[in-house]
Amino acid sequence: MNFVRLVIFGFLVLTVVYVCVSLYSRSVRREKLEAEWEETRPEGIHRDAFVKEGMKEYEASLRRRLILLVYVIPPILVGAIILVVN
Amino acid sequence: MRNIRRAFRITILVILALWLHYVLPHRDVARVTSTEVVRTDLSGLNRIFFAQTDTGNAESLSRDLRFINSQRKRTYLFGLIRGGNQTMVYRNEDTGWIYPPYFKFDSADLQAEAGAAISTEAPYDWVVITHYGWRINWLSIYPNAVSIRPAPGEDFRPVPWSNIVIYVLMLAGVLFVRAMWRQFRERTLDPLAESAEDRIDHVQADFAERRGRLRRWWDRLRGK
Repeated sequence: MNFVRLVIFGFLVLTVVYVCVSLYSRSVRREKLEAEWEETRPEGIHRDAFVKEGMKEYEASLRRRLILLVYVIPPILVGAIILVVN
Repeated sequence: MRNIRRAFRITILVILALWLHYVLPHRDVARVTSTEVVRTDLSGLNRIFFAQTDTGNAESLSRDLRFINSQRKRTYLFGLIRGGNQTMVYRNEDTGWIYPPYFKFDSADLQAEAGAAISTEAPYDWVVITHYGWRINWLSIYPNAVSIRPAPGEDFRPVPWSNIVIYVLMLAGVLFVRAMWRQFRERTLDPLAESAEDRIDHVQADFAERRGRLRRWWDRLRGK
């Protein structure tokens, strides 16, 4: 029963963490894209279009999927602790 | 107001520090002198300092507690300074799945190990007992032993690697949360506040203009 509780609450907490981290990562990426546009000022590309294109690239990137590790690492950690302690 | 805030902050920090000191693992160099099982009825006062019945068993009001009696090396200042010998009694309970997250299910096995490590005649067999928790006599609470392994010698000083790792991870977590909060404030809150300010400015300007118009109309009415 306690195990079920751990799984459910752990999942909820990790979901909060996942949402926060992915929002943060997206925001940082957008800021970087804006800075990049300011610096290079590419001919004929509007700022919004540039950022939009960059964000589309980000959505498909490996970096974004790596945030899913938030769900993977804690269970591995728990498994490791169980192995070491018992 | 500032003093209240400061007192509040210090209280929170002290509680956090005490909690970490209670929950994080400590290592004692000790020799086991005996093991025993004592039937115990926990009260509301000291209940929170004990774990639950062995994982998988039903929870009941009174139960048997496993104890490990020992003689340990006294330490001061988080183990930096060594003193003489001191008796210490450890309890030996499953922590189970929830709290604190040691995921310890093998208290029966640990009790057997402790029994095997009993050493009452010199030369003594010293062991390292990893534990968390406090011994407070007037509450009848005991630190919970998590593992027992042989120590190289009486003067062995274990390096608290696990605590170092935990503290580094915690620091990284705090820095990460701070970075996230700053990003959120810079990119979301500040623009919102700015636009709200903008809107207030507009409303005020609008209001001033209307009042001006009203004033002019009134002035005209009075024939000025």
